Amino acid sequence: MAEPISGQGLVLQTRDLRKHFGGVQAVNGVDLAVPPGDLRAIIGPNGAGKTTLFNLITGDIAHDTGQIFFGGEEISGLPPHRLCRKGMGRTFQITSIFRRLTALENVQTAFLSHHRRHFNIVVPARRLYRDDALALLERVGLRDQAAKPSGILAHGDQRRLELAIALASAPKLLLLDEPTAGMAPRERHEIMALVARIAADTGLTVVFTEHDMDVVFAVARRITVLHQGAVLAEGAPAEVRANGDVQRVYLGATH
Amino acid sequence: MTPTRWLGLLILVLAVAPLVLPPFFLQLLTEIAIVGLFATAFNLLMGFGGMVSFGHAAYFALGAYTAALLVKRVGIPLLLALPAAPIVAAAGALLFGFFIVRLSHTYFAMLSLAFAQIVFTVIFKWKTLTGGDDGLLDVWPPSLLKSPAAYYYFTLVIVGLSILALHAIVDSPFGYALKSVRENPRRARYIGIDVRRHQLAAFVISGAFSGLAGGLFAFYNGSVFPDFAYFTKSFEPLVVALLGGVQSFFGPLAGAFGFKLLEWLISRQWPVYWPLFLGGIVVVVIIVLPSGFVGLVGGRLWRSRSAAKA
Repeated sequence: MAEPISGQGLVLQTRDLRKHFGGVQAVNGVDLAVPPGDLRAIIGPNGAGKTTLFNLITGDIAHDTGQIFFGGEEISGLPPHRLCRKGMGRTFQITSIFRRLTALENVQTAFLSHHRRHFNIVVPARRLYRDDALALLERVGLRDQAAKPSGILAHGDQRRLELAIALASAPKLLLLDEPTAGMAPRERHEIMALVARIAADTGLTVVFTEHDMDVVFAVARRITVLHQGAVLAEGAPAEVRANGDVQRVYLGATH
Repeated sequence: MTPTRWLGLLILVLAVAPLVLPPFFLQLLTEIAIVGLFATAFNLLMGFGGMVSFGHAAYFALGAYTAALLVKRVGIPLLLALPAAPIVAAAGALLFGFFIVRLSHTYFAMLSLAFAQIVFTVIFKWKTLTGGDDGLLDVWPPSLLKSPAAYYYFTLVIVGLSILALHAIVDSPFGYALKSVRENPRRARYIGIDVRRHQLAAFVISGAFSGLAGGLFAFYNGSVFPDFAYFTKSFEPLVVALLGGVQSFFGPLAGAFGFKLLEWLISRQWPVYWPLFLGGIVVVVIIVLPSGFVGLVGGRLWRSRSAAKA
């Protein structure tokens, strides 16, 4: 069983997390501690291990060594659907929605599952959680698109939809893997401002990866910088910006 | 006309059919209904769950043999033997499905085929129980249901209720979750759905209704044979569903109607060449009409209606 947990009160904690693919040490001893209400950006150059770290936390792939705690409970080895039930929500780097279902059905299905009605074969689903789903679509700015098959929505709208799907499970922790990938700059700021607003309203803890530094420094409360699979620096945006190592390996390169 | 009115008209036509049609056509309609149920049950997996089974004859045969064996060897009347057909088929689907849903795509299809061949072999070899290659003969319904018209009505009611049940399942929360698994298993897991368990549940439901179709067919046919479980039988619902349209709930029913009608028309003229024609028809439908027969008539109507509902 897990040793006494020092991270009591933390929403998410990893200890010495490691994962290698062949000879590549993708995640190389990451210690992460995310307190409730945090809006945490994880940044780093391509190949720094951001997405691998995400996939380890969300149970998509198994780590080699180390521990992951969610709400103080060790979750190593739990499959994604169990983690989701425990209150972990996520979006994927490549938009992941139910393309042949309407936007409304996408969110409704997430609500049905969240309320554990997904084995009910008796009642028609059409009216169930319809209002909740429409309200959530309204919140992400997709109310007018509700009846459309989600596969034909604009790219940015599909990203918003995936956010709504994730929110329908009422997560305590939301992991967003490059939520603004492929969006225009203005839309990036809009969607991250929306995430920040929802997080503030609901007390949701958010961890996200992001390439656009303007977006990161505009919304993140704290920033963790990954480099070659390890944490290079961590702190408030101003601290990270002033950090010499970070400037050298990452920020400087993009300016 | 609204769909409800179409449905009312269809029921009326089917209800008065015995008054005007000779027995042969009643038998043809009975068989269409049974094949339609088999294909609709199959399509719960293919069209709504994204799982292509190459071995659904196993559950059809389990149902057929269960009903036949209970009547022949135990002496139980049809009305008690028939409900056992879906139960035994569901048990078989649970056992085999447990392994099959662990795989996907081609491997899913091949393992389902392998289990069906096992069922075939057991039926073929276990002569003392199943009669082996000779099958079980004289599996007739009681005298009350023996006339073509009586068994036609009986089949129509059972198939009608089953279709209603399957339709309700597709529209239920379970059906929504099943479609989400079809669309994107990875995302489905991250709305909390245990994908394998959901697929297995769908597999069992599909197997149960396939078994019921098999049970109905046993009494329709008056006999059961090992080739009910043979792989050529497994392709019947696949072809029927493809012809009718896998995207639509009613596609497989339309497919069964078209399939059996064409089979009768063509094999009446050229008995030997039916498979050749069937091959040609399948090719044409897949290329020209990817949404199947229903794409000819109702596809656009239904799509616009379902879109307008949201």
